[in-house]
Amino acid sequence: MSAETTAEAQRADELEPEVRGAVRDLILVLADSKRLLGTRYAGWILGAPELEAGIAAASMAQDEWGHARLLYAMLKDFGEDPSVIEHERSAAEYRAMPVLDAPPDNWPEMVALNVLVDGALTVQLRAFRDSRYVPMRQRVEKLLEEEQFHTAHGAAWFRRLAGAPEAVVALRGAVEPMVPRVLRWFGADAGSALVLEDADVVDGQGSELRRRWLERVAPQLALLGEGLELAGLEPDFAGFDEARRRGQEDGDGPDEETIRRVRGDRNRAFLMD
Amino acid sequence: MVYEVFARKARGEALRHIGNLNAPDDALAAVYAFNTYDEEKWFDLWVVPRDRMIEAYNADRAAAGGA
Repeated sequence: MSAETTAEAQRADELEPEVRGAVRDLILVLADSKRLLGTRYAGWILGAPELEAGIAAASMAQDEWGHARLLYAMLKDFGEDPSVIEHERSAAEYRAMPVLDAPPDNWPEMVALNVLVDGALTVQLRAFRDSRYVPMRQRVEKLLEEEQFHTAHGAAWFRRLAGAPEAVVALRGAVEPMVPRVLRWFGADAGSALVLEDADVVDGQGSELRRRWLERVAPQLALLGEGLELAGLEPDFAGFDEARRRGQEDGDGPDEETIRRVRGDRNRAFLMD
Repeated sequence: MVYEVFARKARGEALRHIGNLNAPDDALAAVYAFNTYDEEKWFDLWVVPRDRMIEAYNADRAAAGGA
């Protein structure tokens, strides 16, 4: 690799056009995913199994929305208007992780999202730690620091549910279909992911991120025992939309009601700026 | 299970009791303490199960002639 391509980029316009577009797409994927994950956590501020779990859900929602806000703001460097990105896109334009499309049906499903999906976003974010794109590298440590408590929350709840005969069935039912979808979400070792790795913007892509994620969630999956049935550990990327990180079976996007709430449509008139 | 929560704002300060919470186990108690008592930026934060605290002295009981 030439010295020129590995030089630090303080601004997006110091990146090659192909690299710039790929960074922009990945930031949007992360921002939308965190916006949706925050919304899913927020759905449990009321109705979690105990008051303290509701407080934890509120805290994690706040973290995720904060991260999303910060990531949307970073898109200014790419010539985008963050306000348009946040408030004026349809559900079909969202790039959030497909498993976040619908709200979790029950608390074990929320705990599975906490461990598997929050964990996957953290793995993807961590790949920017030594990034040549300086604005991202400078922000990622703070985000990862806050994520430590999400990880601890997920691990503690997962262990608790896995140890309770009346809960472990629901937990396994949530985890089994989620694992292959998250694995596919990391994408193929090709296209813009390859561009980003070659340009030293991230230090891993596709199969390498899948390996890191599986290593990360292995202690939790082990708690579900031998009976865990995981189909499709080798993802099928036929028809995979790389920019949206979405496969054919993943559907079109989040439901419109979710996006109306995420955008704040109902009270948009009071956004008087 | 009830856990008592202790914290200090700076290294070297005395630990101060700041409240309590309900949690089913130590791991969740630690997470909940961080989420629930986040109004300050702490240097460190501790939880202890209330039933593991040992009373060493109580003025009312001492005045009544001891337990």
